[in-house]
Parts: sequence; structure tokens; C-alpha cells
Amino acid sequence: MLRAMVSMLLFVLAGCEQRSEPDPYTTVVDTKQLMNWILDPNADVIWDSAGFEVTAEGTRSLAPTTGEEWNSVRNAAATIAEVSNLLMMPKRARDDTIWMSSSQGMQTTAVQLIDAAERQDADAVFDYGGELFTYCISCHDVYMLPAASP
Amino acid sequence: MKTRAIVSIAAIVLLTVSAPAAAHHSFAAEFDRNKPMALTGKVVRVQWINPHAWIHIEVEKPEGAETWAIEVGTPNTLFRRGLTRDTLEIGAEIVVRGFGVKGDALAANGREITFPDGRRLFVGSSGTGAPDDGLDPNE
Repeated sequence: MLRAMVSMLLFVLAGCEQRSEPDPYTTVVDTKQLMNWILDPNADVIWDSAGFEVTAEGTRSLAPTTGEEWNSVRNAAATIAEVSNLLMMPKRARDDTIWMSSSQGMQTTAVQLIDAAERQDADAVFDYGGELFTYCISCHDVYMLPAASP
Repeated sequence: MKTRAIVSIAAIVLLTVSAPAAAHHSFAAEFDRNKPMALTGKVVRVQWINPHAWIHIEVEKPEGAETWAIEVGTPNTLFRRGLTRDTLEIGAEIVVRGFGVKGDALAANGREITFPDGRRLFVGSSGTGAPDDGLDPNE
């Protein structure tokens, strides 16, 4: 009995002593670069592909008019959906509260945008594009310091 | 373990201190709180887009007409306040109160519009760090 208990104890301690394997992934760019180099340009594709312009000449839709343009919107949405995962990575996530909920909300919205682009639904791209911005705001309000005015 | 914790904390501190404001929605990144302005002009163009709608007005100056680009709130928030892309008629003369952009560009962050019929409407964005001018009903 004693031998069994000692053996079990040694087995457990051996497990604790085992070194964990290093993660196969790592962050390459910091969060600022992720925003400026990847997320923001793709969000711009979404936002620039929806809405209207009104002038004295009339109202012009800004929605895509070709399959290629719609694919660009879809691709941008897909990129944002995956960038959401990058934001939630253990090595990048700031906490498991607003950071996570904002990232998850952004991902959910991006999935809707993929669908909207596939269906070539201009109104949906516009509406979800606005929703996307709310998740940007929700995160930035908490984690981003305002730039100092000169 | 301890070293990793120290490095992580240092990284977070550095990231927090150096993180700039994103161009899309931080007032301080683009606009100058020390440049309050009121512009009267005719609406010549409306961009009903995300993340911010834009209203372009032609302002008469002694040296000639200037076209100013006024950034306002998101279409969703404007819509909830009763403003649509069709509410602002091309050619309508409005008064825009807000803050000028940093630098010399003819652009501003719009906070309030006074319509030809005298109605006043807050058109800015809440929570962007804009000056507390008492115009935002949400702040």
C-alpha cells in the first residue's frame, strides 16, 4: 500500500516536472501594427464598398458593381474574421472581458459580412459595416489611450 | 516563470504608452480642441458612409468660396437622431459648429448642425474624446 502511494506520488510529481512544449505559433507584429497593417485596411474595404454619395447630380450608390469587387468585400470580411482570432490569442489578448467580447463581436459581424458579400447584399454590407465599427469603438474606448494634443 | 511574467508586464506597459489613437474614431488623432469653429454654408455633397458620414458645405469667404468637409457621426447614430441621407438637402444653408482639423485642411469635426428652419441637432460621435462642449446629450 505504501509502495503504491509513493509510486503514485512520484508519478504525479514527474508530470508536474515535465516541461510544456513551446507553442507552435507566435505573434509577429504587435497590436498597433496588426491594426494599422491588417485590420484597418480591410475594414476600409468594407466601409468604402457601401453607402451613398449625394450631390446636385443625384444619389450614387457606392456598392460593388462587379463580381470581382464583391469578392474583394468578401475577402476583406474573411480577413477581419480571422484577425479577430489573432486578437484573442493568449499572447495578444489584454484580458478575458471586454477585449474578448469585442473581438468575438467583431468576428460574428465579419461572418455576417462574408455572407452579405456572397449574396451581394449592399444594404447588409452597409448595416454590418456600421455594426463592425461599434466593436472597434467598444474596444478602443477601454484599451487605447487618446493621442496627446500638441 | 517569473521572468516571463516580468517581460509580459513590461510589454503591456510599453504597448499602452506607445499605442496611438486610430484614425477612424479618436477625436484627438485628427482634430484640434483648440480650434472651435462655426461655419455657415450650403450643402454641396453628403457622403452617407461608415464609419463616419461626411457633409461637405460651401462657405462664402471674402476671398472666395471654400468647400469644407465636415465629419459627423455614424449613419446609424444619425438615423436614430432623425437624420437621414435625404434630410440634408443639397443647396440648403446650414450652420455647423465643431472643431477644426489639425493642420490647414478645410475639414472639421462637426458637433451640431442648425438647419434652415432653426432646428439644432447634435451630429457628433459620442465617446471619441471630443471636448465637453455640452452638445452631446449622451455625455
